[in-house]
Amino acid sequence: MSILAIDQPGRSVLMMGNEAIARGALEAGVDFSTAYPGTPSSEIIESLARVAEHFGFYAEWSTNEMVALEAAAAASLSGLRAIVAMKQNGVNVCSDFLLTVNLTGTKGGLVFVVGDDPSAISSSNEQDSRNFARFADLPLLEPATFQEAKDMTRWAFELSERVGLPCMIRSVTRLSHSRGNVKLAEIPQRSRSARFEGSYIAGVFVPIKHAELHQKLEQAREEFEGSEFNWYVGREGARFVIVTSGSGWLYSREAVAALGLDGEVGILKIGTTWPLPESFIVDHLRQATELLIVEEVDPFLEQNIKILLAEQAKTLGPIEVYGARSGHLPAFGDINQDKVARALADIRGLEYRARDEQYAQRASELALTLPPRMPTFCPGCPHRASLWAIKAALKLDGRDGFVAGDIGCYSLGVGPAGFWQLKTLHCMGAGIGLANGFGKLGQFAFDQPVVAVCGDSTFFHAAIPGLINARFNNSNVLMVVLDNGGTAMTGFQPHPGSGTDALGRPAPVVEIEEICKAIGVEVRVRDPFEVDRAIEDLYDMLQDGGVKVMVFRRKCFLIESREKAKPKVFVDPEKCIGDECGCARFCSRVFNCPGIIWDQDAEKAKIDEVVCTGCGVCATLCPQGAIVVEEG
Amino acid sequence: MKAGKGSLELEKEVLNEGLCTSCGACVEICPYIKVVKDRVAVIEPCGLAEGKCYDFCPRTPTDIAALDRRIFGQERPDSSLGSYISIEMAQARDNKIRSRAQYGGVVSALMTYAMDLGEIGAAVLTRPFDGGLMPTSVVAEESSQVLGCATSNYIASATLAGMNKVIKQRRDAIGVVGLPCQILALRKMQVSEHENGAMGVKLVIGLFCTWALSYKEFYRFLRGRLDLSLIKRLDIPPPPANILVVDTETGTMEFPLEDMRGFIKPTCGICFDMTSEFADISVGMVEGMDDWNTLMIRTPEAERLIEKARQDGIIETRPLDEARLTHLREASLQKKRRAIDDLVKRTGDERNLLYLLLSEEERRKFL
Repeated sequence: MSILAIDQPGRSVLMMGNEAIARGALEAGVDFSTAYPGTPSSEIIESLARVAEHFGFYAEWSTNEMVALEAAAAASLSGLRAIVAMKQNGVNVCSDFLLTVNLTGTKGGLVFVVGDDPSAISSSNEQDSRNFARFADLPLLEPATFQEAKDMTRWAFELSERVGLPCMIRSVTRLSHSRGNVKLAEIPQRSRSARFEGSYIAGVFVPIKHAELHQKLEQAREEFEGSEFNWYVGREGARFVIVTSGSGWLYSREAVAALGLDGEVGILKIGTTWPLPESFIVDHLRQATELLIVEEVDPFLEQNIKILLAEQAKTLGPIEVYGARSGHLPAFGDINQDKVARALADIRGLEYRARDEQYAQRASELALTLPPRMPTFCPGCPHRASLWAIKAALKLDGRDGFVAGDIGCYSLGVGPAGFWQLKTLHCMGAGIGLANGFGKLGQFAFDQPVVAVCGDSTFFHAAIPGLINARFNNSNVLMVVLDNGGTAMTGFQPHPGSGTDALGRPAPVVEIEEICKAIGVEVRVRDPFEVDRAIEDLYDMLQDGGVKVMVFRRKCFLIESREKAKPKVFVDPEKCIGDECGCARFCSRVFNCPGIIWDQDAEKAKIDEVVCTGCGVCATLCPQGAIVVEEG
Repeated sequence: MKAGKGSLELEKEVLNEGLCTSCGACVEICPYIKVVKDRVAVIEPCGLAEGKCYDFCPRTPTDIAALDRRIFGQERPDSSLGSYISIEMAQARDNKIRSRAQYGGVVSALMTYAMDLGEIGAAVLTRPFDGGLMPTSVVAEESSQVLGCATSNYIASATLAGMNKVIKQRRDAIGVVGLPCQILALRKMQVSEHENGAMGVKLVIGLFCTWALSYKEFYRFLRGRLDLSLIKRLDIPPPPANILVVDTETGTMEFPLEDMRGFIKPTCGICFDMTSEFADISVGMVEGMDDWNTLMIRTPEAERLIEKARQDGIIETRPLDEARLTHLREASLQKKRRAIDDLVKRTGDERNLLYLLLSEEERRKFL
């Protein structure tokens, strides 16, 4: 059983931030949970789905964040407690609904969790989703610790019900994906039943509803004034105060300790960052003359504090504010204790040295001794063969065609893993959307063929309208769906084509090719490991123009290899003739699967048995037929 | 012969210049060069300074006189037709073969015969209309498969890619039927210092060829006009008809030959060889005689095989009349002159014939 289900109130358990959020939902007696997977948010619904059957609530992977939010809102409108989770880009996807459901309001507690990814460690953009809370006039909570991640989530349901609005929780990668101790509380018995009553209509009396929304937000602010998630530590009446939220809290504490400033500097930690608990903040800044604002990504807190200071100028007098705007902390990337300490030392005129002077030099010397490792596809990954086939077909076509990329593991095709094939990369569905436009440039002497790639999950998420548009407007697009059977990049969550639901139960399969046929476009389904055939088919499809879809179907080999015995793959040293071959080490150098290495001593290719997944595609590419696949 | 150049130069000098004949000699010898339909491309630079691909290509510099000496042991005695022992008219005795074949069925009859005799274990051939307009390279392992490859294609396919696949696996003797550019590449492989399996090719039958059509252009032309999957046979009857005849399951269509001119592969314009001068046996049509082939025997091994075939009643031969021979010679010379003109036009230099290395003296013989 999952640690989420431990029924021992008071016990401390080591939990991932996302698990703590999920546990908070459980302790709030959540009824309905939805998400589209996205790093760093995926484990929230993943954890909940594991215990959904046990506790008798509902969990689903939705086709996209818009549907996820709408489905969760439906549960809320029917009086249930619902949670929806997504990464930052997901907020953009569902923002249209978000900016209308704020007007209609909600009924049962609706908690909207967004996992922001500062530094875009696993994202195509970096954004501060807190801006959406201000944009949509919704209450916003920012957990700073694992305990808070749980407790805030639980409390957010109550707040949402009291103010009749979705309540937003903003986590960040460093919280969502690290672990800490969390003290458990009780998981209540659930006894809610769903019933829809009344009406929730955004489009009428909009200005009145907007005014009501502001009143609701004011109600939330009043609750925030006394919130247990806001506190002050350090010297009472300090003249120098760090104001911080989220991950900044722990970094600030460490930085203050590292510089020995405990006795001088106060830290005002805000957990309810929109709307700001104004009186609470003003009360703690009466003696302050200097502030350092510590937060991740945008100067969101900083700007709102500055507005507050301006409004309270008569009360508080002039206060110098340091942060992103002053250049002491970045307004991009993630932060850490070191960055905060440097900012603090700089402002205070202190010496701060995290490492000895030669550290940087020694580190860079050491780095030179490491073998270069470019990001690459897993061994056995079908995308490697698919992108090779696309490259070959475009080269054979000879019209300088290119690939419009999309979001998924295959986004690595921007680099050497995918032979540098992806020339555009934006957001989910942008590949086919852009390709639509490129494909309509014929009247401007544009003759380059355009290939749009997208994954199977991306197809369902965002690519279908683009494909329909291409058909409707008679564009020239070859769409290649890289169908590996699941939402691979975020941990192989199921999607409408997978045949299972979030709980692992059988689900109806929505066939990609049937959708394409219904749209009225030519579709072929091929195995990318039949590389030559794949190349020829792609080439043929590029010749006639119009809208065409190639589905390259082969299961993600990480999953496949768990399900069946791994064939033994090895290089026949008699047949591999090394550098005599003329292949110029194609397998280990160009195709570059991590499972194939160049044996320096033997001067031949060699399969790394530990890494190799036994997919065998290399055997079909070796010009000498020197790679042998023995079924296990 | 070793050129000291690789795929980079192949791409620059041949592929990018539109000179590729799509013979397939550079395909299936490394993972970097691929062919689809009649398009050949270097998918990724292999990084090697020197490659078989460049060495084998029929459009990289080729010393014609040196190749004559290597293959036939002599300078060419006939400047227009190359080395040959005899030129005759021939036809297959088997009516079944003749009815399936384009003209006299000699190629099908000889390949079938050589396989039945055990002279060759397999034959690399080209099958037309294999579910579409594009011919495909096939390996016949049994003589009964040969007839499926009868009739003319008019689209050059990468026959040697199929051959390269086969010679990696087989150690027995094989036969190849190809166009002049393919035969030239095959001979370049056989005399190359780069290791390859082409020495296993023991019977080389070359076809007469004036030009081939580019698949893409021809496909686009025909696509809207007929159902390509129904094509049975293409034919260009001898002048003055000036038409292309397409036989389909549902009837016959004719197109003016003029319409096809634009689809001829540009590389055919610089081709020097109409009669497959480096083959063991060259076979073509006979003007005005639909049921017969022109048969050129170029090597003693070929002569022995043909003599035996004649004795065994496989083929029947007749002398080729002087008028037709003169005409053949004239047509061949005409092609050479056109090729030289075209090459000079391309290079802008009287002495630079790109791939064709000819001495002044040799060149004068053609002009």
